[in-house]
Amino acid sequence: MNTITDPMPTLDRRADASYLDFVEGFREYILGKGADFEDRLNAALLAEGERRGKPMDEIAPVRDYLRSLPLGRLRDRLARTQQEMKWYALWRSFDGQRDALRAELERWDARGPGRLQLEPDFVLPPYLNVHFHLQPGGYYKDELSGFLYHYGTKVFFRGDNDRDELHDKLVGLVPAPADGKVARILDLACSIGQSTTAFKRRYPQAEVTGIDYSAPMLRVAHRRAAMLGDDVTFAQRLIEETRFPDAHFDITFAFIVFHELPQRITRETVREAARVTRPGGLFAVYDFNETKSMSPFQLYHRDFDAAHNGEPYSQEFCDSDFDAILAEHGFRVAAQPLAKRAGGAGYMKHWFATRA
Amino acid sequence: MPDPQQRFSGQTPEGGVPLAGPDPVYLENPVLDATVRMVVELAAQVWVERERRLTLESLLAARGLLDLGAIESFKPDAAQATALKAERARFIEDVFKELRRIPATPGA
Repeated sequence: MNTITDPMPTLDRRADASYLDFVEGFREYILGKGADFEDRLNAALLAEGERRGKPMDEIAPVRDYLRSLPLGRLRDRLARTQQEMKWYALWRSFDGQRDALRAELERWDARGPGRLQLEPDFVLPPYLNVHFHLQPGGYYKDELSGFLYHYGTKVFFRGDNDRDELHDKLVGLVPAPADGKVARILDLACSIGQSTTAFKRRYPQAEVTGIDYSAPMLRVAHRRAAMLGDDVTFAQRLIEETRFPDAHFDITFAFIVFHELPQRITRETVREAARVTRPGGLFAVYDFNETKSMSPFQLYHRDFDAAHNGEPYSQEFCDSDFDAILAEHGFRVAAQPLAKRAGGAGYMKHWFATRA
Repeated sequence: MPDPQQRFSGQTPEGGVPLAGPDPVYLENPVLDATVRMVVELAAQVWVERERRLTLESLLAARGLLDLGAIESFKPDAAQATALKAERARFIEDVFKELRRIPATPGA
């Protein structure tokens, strides 16, 4: 079982860790310069656009052309395979120690610092019934969903976030409100609470709360924070209906949340963020770049990811004008794309929005 | 062996792009897809073994205990042989489970 200093769940066998180590390296290989799929396929798409005298900037011709190439189809096969391998190995490894992991969660539920607030009668809206990123059971149907997510995202970030370095860095980039007052912080859809605790360390005097719909995620979040000694609150609530008072928070935060929401819920959540963030307070969002700023290959990858990697709402998010949605709800927006790999990859953008 | 991809496959996302099911075919036919998956799986298994062997050799060498000749002449006892067979079955399942995914239907 885990030592008190490392909340990363321990795998059942050393061989499982080696296997996932391979998947992490293989993922780096096929997404990066190893197999060099992205640059070669993007060049092929650009050349095809030249040949047709029409840029490849719409998904239908991009998809048709890329799937006519054996290299494109093989790339899809391998992208899907590494994700399936990751979950196959992780689920088997955690399932093999299910009783021990269940006991581990029970042991931490009531321990502090910090507190866990679960709602026994919590109703999950149907839009959440997705196995995001092909995670078996999605984010809430397996009692071990939080452990699966923690190790799964370790592999996803390819070594850049083994000790929450990415969350620490991105939280560190969030500006304070202009008046400097930071007494309460809300982390929307906090999952296992890596941003939540990063905020607590940055603002030790502040009251920091992470909310999520998933009880298994929140239990792992609480265990992790308690192990690390961070006094934060994790509560089971919907981000589109938080039940906090008006103007309650100085900073409201959402890390790669909105692309997992239907547009209806995105708008409800922005409206809710506008309600609970005080005037002059900050709403900080990290999420995917918009379709309009994508290369032809990135267009293709977004489409593939949406349909083949459990991201059913991501396309509508990328196609939307999130700046405009924020502005409609009373936020003054500053946004710019993150440099490639500066924030984990070249696919993210931030919106630092001030509540008018 | 339960297949986690098959668990909880029912889902009802509202709107968005329809999700590919648990077993998409990307190449010309399911046999090619399974072949690629088996190759990647084999590479993973080879790495798992190599990582373990290098770990073992490092530990043994550090303790002055490694005798390469003893590896060549090793004969497992009955319990060890049974354990090795179970490991072998697990290994074969990992690599060749793809074969079960190929449907018994004509064409691709």
